[in-house]
Amino acid sequence: MKGMFKAKGLRTGSLVIKGVLAATLATASIGAANATTTIQETGSSLLYPLFNLWVPAYSKAHPDVQINAASTGSGTGIAQSIAGNVQLGGSDAYLSGAMMKKHPHMLNIPVAISSQMVNYNLPGLNGKHIKLSGPVLSRIYEGTATYWDDSAIKRMNPGVDLPHHRIVPVHRSDGSGDTFLFTQYLSFSHPYWHKKYGYGTTVNWPAVQGEIGATGNPGMVQALKDNPYSVAYIGISYKGQIDKDGLGEAKLKNRSGNFVLPTVETVPAAAAAMVPKTPKDERVSLIFAPGHNAYPIINYEYTIVSADQGDMAAPLKQFLNWAVSTKGGNASEFLKPVNFMPLPQKAAELTRAQIAKIH
Amino acid sequence: MKRNTWFRWGVTACASIIPLVLLAIVIFLLIDSWPAMRFNGWHFLVSNQWNLGNEYGDLVTVNGQQVPPGADYGIGFLIVGTLSSAFIALLLALPVSVAASAFLAEMVPKRLQNTASLMVELLAGVPSVVFGLWGLIVLVPFMNHYIYPGLTHVLGDIPFFQPPTGAGYGLLTSSVVLAVMIAPLITSTVRGAIENVPMVQREAGLALGATRFEVLVKTVIPGVRRVIIGAGILALGRALGETMAVLMVSGNALGYLPHNIYSPISTMASFIVSQLDSALQDASGMAEHALAEIALILFAITLIVNVAARGLLWLARD
Repeated sequence: MKGMFKAKGLRTGSLVIKGVLAATLATASIGAANATTTIQETGSSLLYPLFNLWVPAYSKAHPDVQINAASTGSGTGIAQSIAGNVQLGGSDAYLSGAMMKKHPHMLNIPVAISSQMVNYNLPGLNGKHIKLSGPVLSRIYEGTATYWDDSAIKRMNPGVDLPHHRIVPVHRSDGSGDTFLFTQYLSFSHPYWHKKYGYGTTVNWPAVQGEIGATGNPGMVQALKDNPYSVAYIGISYKGQIDKDGLGEAKLKNRSGNFVLPTVETVPAAAAAMVPKTPKDERVSLIFAPGHNAYPIINYEYTIVSADQGDMAAPLKQFLNWAVSTKGGNASEFLKPVNFMPLPQKAAELTRAQIAKIH
Repeated sequence: MKRNTWFRWGVTACASIIPLVLLAIVIFLLIDSWPAMRFNGWHFLVSNQWNLGNEYGDLVTVNGQQVPPGADYGIGFLIVGTLSSAFIALLLALPVSVAASAFLAEMVPKRLQNTASLMVELLAGVPSVVFGLWGLIVLVPFMNHYIYPGLTHVLGDIPFFQPPTGAGYGLLTSSVVLAVMIAPLITSTVRGAIENVPMVQREAGLALGATRFEVLVKTVIPGVRRVIIGAGILALGRALGETMAVLMVSGNALGYLPHNIYSPISTMASFIVSQLDSALQDASGMAEHALAEIALILFAITLIVNVAARGLLWLARD
């Protein structure tokens, strides 16, 4: 009996081993056949936190696709995507006309809507939502409105006890999509700024006494925190940090003259006004949108993609279509933590038409 | 004989790699910055703005080069920022380092000497970004709250020390970070030289009735003056090219000159890093060429400093 059991046990054991071996070989061969697809993304530091949420979720549903994302900067994203080193170049801004003329095969594919806050550090007033406008901010950044109790700021904020303290303007010293968006708001709302300084990822900031040049959004938050009476423009994905540090968030004057915060009403309101003006290639600025309730600093977050992808086309299209779907990457579970908004339906349709061009 | 020939060729080939790499770098910089040199002209060296132009406008042709409308580059403020921060750093570091090396070589008991010297060497090997982080988190607020108000109080009558003091980011803060970085370099070199001064010289001085301090100041230090100059120049070279530490504490002024010792500055090396991403968005590529031109000029300045060092060493010969 004992011997029989032993023999039987051995036989079952070897069967199990065989089964395991076969299964292992099978998975290994499947793995070898499919794990070859790696999508590379690099670029905008504003878009990076969203990719950080997307990647594990997408990889879980598609174990055969691996996505590597890196936070480097919009310029790097654009350059690397054009060079073909990455498939997706994250950018806060669309490619210029001159850039498109040089690289006509590049697509500007929006994947979400972002916005920008104007924050301040005014001891005692950080919970108040001070009101500011484009022209007033231009005067602050030019150094012609130098104190917090400047008459123009006072007029906008009746009943608020503004201190007689020098304003410390903080701006990005590295090239940045945030600077591009902020200076566009100043340019579109104040022709004087447009004529004198214009907009861009780097502008020739006027020398203002006490001003600070900070690197990256984290550097902006740090400078704001360390310097009472300062003001800064910061990407919406850093709202959690701003709230945690007890810093102020300004209400901004929109085109209709109302003062608004970036919320789930005001950002989509601005987007709704701009979607009909979005051309087929989706290269458009959403800054200073018309509308009673529209928040003035919003933008499409783009992935810059070459239309010629060869073998990569199919997995890339699948990923991008997932990313812009409200059941996929545009679901609130991904967008809410970074305070982005989904693409409006009409824009998502334009985007899908662009994704279809990848071959 | 044959083996000898092979050896000679091998060594020559290895040795020639270094000058060839140098030559390759110069050629690369010249080629990459050539369009920028044609576009900018000499005005690049003296004017103060960094304007990429309207990136979304149609390209225009200026001086035979395609650029976005309104593009205008001048790096006077970067040259001033680089030279002033490096020289102030040297000014701060040199006396301290010489005193420290004299102390390490002459005063510290023999059994502690190795430990103390090892610590200096360790400090010299700390990556610069660590100094930068320390500068940003500790030094900037400290300078802003304590040193700057004190300086304006004591030296406020001297033009370059007058307020306003800004936010702690700026020229003097950058120089202090650089000084902390280069002081160990100077100290470890000079300490070695002082230890090598023959004992008989000290004994002769002491025999003549000089105190230990007098022997140090009148015999030992003058004996190593060439080493001090050489170490200083090497340190200056390091300070001129330092990138990350300065980027983090300089305030990164763009397009204007420092109006006092507290104001924000930018240096050439840190500016190349901070502006590269923007430059890559310029469809004409001119912004990137202009950054290459900055690199070329930084290279030239470093070369001039080294030639000047040779001159100084020649003047200080025995």
